[in-house]
Amino acid sequence: MATMTEIAMLHDVSKCTACRGCMVACKQWKNLPADMTPFEGNYQSHEDLSPSTYNLIKMKETYENGNFRWDFLKFQCMHCGIPACAKACPEEALVKQANGVVSFIEDRCVGCGYCETNCTFDVPRIDAVRKKSTKCNLCEDRIANGMVPSCAQTCTADAILFGTREEMTEIAKARVQVLKEQYPNAQLYGVDKNDGIGGTNMMYILTDRPSVFGLPENPKVSTSLTIWKDYAQPAGKFLFGAAAMVVAGALVNNAMIGKKNKGGHDHEQNQ
Amino acid sequence: MSMKWVMRAKEKGAKVIHVDPRYTRTSKISDKYVQIRPGTDIAFLNAIVQYILENDLYDKTFIISHTNAMYKTNKNFEFNEGVFSGYSDEERKYNTDFWAYELDAEGKPVKADSLDDPQTVFSGLKDFYKRYTMEVSSGITGIPVETIKEVADMVVNNRPGTIMYALGMTQHTVGVQNIRAFGVLQLLLGNIGRPGTGINALRGEPNVQGSTDFALLFNYLPGYLSYPNHNKPKLENWTASYGSFRAKFLIHLLKAWFGDEATAENDFCYGLLPKKNANENYSIYRIFETAMEKKMKFLYIMGQNPMVSSPNLSVVHEGLSGLDTLVVADLFMTETASFWEKPGCDPSTIDTEVFFLPAASFLEKEGSLSNSSRMVQWRYTGIDPVGEAKSDLDMIDLLFNKIRDLYKDSSEAKDEIIKKLSWNYPTEKKAEAVLREINGYNLKTGELLNGIGEIQADGSTAGGNWLYAGVYAGNENLSKRKDNKTDPSGLGLFPGFAWSWPGNMRVLYNRASCDVNGVPYDDEKKLIWWDEQTKKWMGYDVPDVPVATDGPDTPNGQKPFRMNGEGVGRLIANSYSDPDYVNQTARDASSVPADGPLPEFYEPVESPTSNVLHPKVQINPCLKYPRIESKQPIGTKEEFPYVLCTSSISEHWCAGTVTRNVPWLNELVKETYIEIPEKLATKLNVKNGEKVKVRSARGEIEVKTMVTHRLQTLNINNEEVTVVWMPYNWGFKGLSTAASTNLLTIDAGDPNTWIQETKACLVDVQKV
Repeated sequence: MATMTEIAMLHDVSKCTACRGCMVACKQWKNLPADMTPFEGNYQSHEDLSPSTYNLIKMKETYENGNFRWDFLKFQCMHCGIPACAKACPEEALVKQANGVVSFIEDRCVGCGYCETNCTFDVPRIDAVRKKSTKCNLCEDRIANGMVPSCAQTCTADAILFGTREEMTEIAKARVQVLKEQYPNAQLYGVDKNDGIGGTNMMYILTDRPSVFGLPENPKVSTSLTIWKDYAQPAGKFLFGAAAMVVAGALVNNAMIGKKNKGGHDHEQNQ
Repeated sequence: MSMKWVMRAKEKGAKVIHVDPRYTRTSKISDKYVQIRPGTDIAFLNAIVQYILENDLYDKTFIISHTNAMYKTNKNFEFNEGVFSGYSDEERKYNTDFWAYELDAEGKPVKADSLDDPQTVFSGLKDFYKRYTMEVSSGITGIPVETIKEVADMVVNNRPGTIMYALGMTQHTVGVQNIRAFGVLQLLLGNIGRPGTGINALRGEPNVQGSTDFALLFNYLPGYLSYPNHNKPKLENWTASYGSFRAKFLIHLLKAWFGDEATAENDFCYGLLPKKNANENYSIYRIFETAMEKKMKFLYIMGQNPMVSSPNLSVVHEGLSGLDTLVVADLFMTETASFWEKPGCDPSTIDTEVFFLPAASFLEKEGSLSNSSRMVQWRYTGIDPVGEAKSDLDMIDLLFNKIRDLYKDSSEAKDEIIKKLSWNYPTEKKAEAVLREINGYNLKTGELLNGIGEIQADGSTAGGNWLYAGVYAGNENLSKRKDNKTDPSGLGLFPGFAWSWPGNMRVLYNRASCDVNGVPYDDEKKLIWWDEQTKKWMGYDVPDVPVATDGPDTPNGQKPFRMNGEGVGRLIANSYSDPDYVNQTARDASSVPADGPLPEFYEPVESPTSNVLHPKVQINPCLKYPRIESKQPIGTKEEFPYVLCTSSISEHWCAGTVTRNVPWLNELVKETYIEIPEKLATKLNVKNGEKVKVRSARGEIEVKTMVTHRLQTLNINNEEVTVVWMPYNWGFKGLSTAASTNLLTIDAGDPNTWIQETKACLVDVQKV
């Protein structure tokens, strides 16, 4: 596969058995240490992503009117079409590539945490010791060598698929049609490039509304970020010089940091 | 991995039914989940069979052609008050000769003219099953009547259908009968021998099939040849019991073991094999009990960690403490190798000397692996063993050569076997040399055998396992083949990929995929057929017939279950052995379950209720338990009100010896816990994640709770019954340590296999 072709990963929640082979494969390829959190009385291994866990199978038990359901979701970087992290990053450490991957260039990262604060999906995590951000890069080193990401490689249930975005979109659309019989709310997620984040390259086949899986119903990039990245930052660099840049930056930063203090992200509100 | 293929089938429209005491990740992807009380599978399956019989939903053509449905049973055959004819109260044992057909003057079974003849197997079946109404089954199992009916309709309306099972069915005191219940169901539905049918054991370990093929079971020699007992001192005694067909393979095996020393004159050295006491049980449970009784001095354990995986661990610990010497070969220091370090144990009270041998992992050695489909696949060495580690094969080779040296001057009769054993393996490509020996040679020509048909009874061939004859056909290691492209059948047979026994056959009993005339039932999905032009059985698969040129108009052409003397599937098991076996191929006596010709429901040894079918015969009447009263107490439902089911989990494997030393698996599931229903949590006033004490008649441990709706309390015979569940993978060694669940479980075993009842015992749960 040529690297410039747009690629995508697809998680079909209806096929996922939460065996979590993908979590092990991810850590193996990335050489990440185990994250020994205490037993909390459920099967989900970790409450959330961490600097050493880029990929988490979320498992949610629901019991309503005598009916039980168990929902699994592969949670990781969504590789947004319009990545808020890249917009927020003052160092160009996060870069949207032509193939769809949101790359992370660690050498540029200063650990400021803007990506963590502003991500539409609350994904990046700052490693406090190394002062670096962390997140899934879709195994772009593997992709560049014609391999598939390690999680997709290991999935025995064919629940994680990887290929060109076009292929994945086709598969996803067909699958949702089949699933609608059993799951009337079955839908695609991240496929539509006209959504608030320009679609994603980590796409989902969901059996129910996104909020059931902890995903925002209408993901979008905040306006303040757009101002920062698309107007203030370039303008600052070229026109005003360093001092003015700091002032402009501080204004927008307050807006960005304030977002988290005001009660979190879209998907948390939807839960 | 097996789930991958279940998902593929589902995508093609298959319906998946999952029966389990708790809702699991498998239930999540199933079309229908059924919650069942542990230990009541027979009551559930028999109600489905009864529904099929009552409503004439069976495959009539199939059962008339391919089963013993029309055969007449012996007039003495009956079932009364929970026991079949032939039962001895004193011995707690059946005389299986009572389960016989009516025979004609030549000793052949008599067949009736119609299924409805009152003496047919089929009539006996109907009579037996009629007690299993939906209501009775629902009371025993806790499954609502409408669910049982829904499942019955699903299996009837979705043929062909396959059954996959694992230890959930076998770890019971009725383990073999659980599988027999599957057998009756699948025979009635015509679900055997055709593509997409069968009863598939998902073996618990990658090479458990290979291990059992090679006599891991104490009552077998390689190739499922019965192990010689004390009452069979000579080869002729063995042959009289197990038949000339199998005697040929035993001679073939003895020639491999003893080489030139084995001659027709000396019974091919049969006399050198140590004889088993026919009245003793040599299972793993008796190993530890015998050691505890100081009757066993030495134990060598490889690839197993019984201080975690065996039930009633106190007995295991006491047994290990009673040994003079223990040798353990493993990848990591196990709980078994360091049993003297068990928390609370005072090592100064233990005299056992322990040796630990570092073993190579599967990545560090080559050899074959036989999977659940009897497919033998070759594995290559990835890296050389780390440090001093060695493969099991190298360890045993070194040990035996050393032992033979030590005995070379002995003149004692008991040491003859060591001196006469043919044992000479090269240092290079040792595993392949062993596989060649397993495949077998023609001793006259020195050529490797090409198949089972070339094996001789006169000692002119030698091989390590008759079932594997042909794995090295044409001097090529066929287990190395990797053709995953060529599949003329379109059914996924891929005959050029690896090699499966016997003779590369992929679907056993495939003769049953054709009608009496040898025409496939389903022309779209055909495996084999009779070719009238060439007068041969042909197929995409290797035909499972006694003789490839014996057509449907011959007796051999109507034997889809050719290992049974009568050649057909047994709806009711039968002790029949074909009196003509001497002149026939592939016909002989086959084994009959020791505890009944039909699957009858019995309660687990520890049960929360009484047996509503026959209160006087509560448990399997052939069960002998406790074996040692002081060590094997039986808990009552008054003191221990909850049913405990235990199993492994996807993240940790068996005793966890390997997986608990992998941090990436430990972070996924961290310790032993107990799943309890919300209702019990409320009653005990415990919150999710809080600690509880779990106690059985055998031991107690403290673990954290997982409070969940995935387990619901059940209505059993009009009383509320609570089921709890625990994983058993933990112990006190390794990177992840926690309490061992098997301190609680019961070591009562199935009378056929001695597999323990770890799926159902009684416990009490209290807040700490």
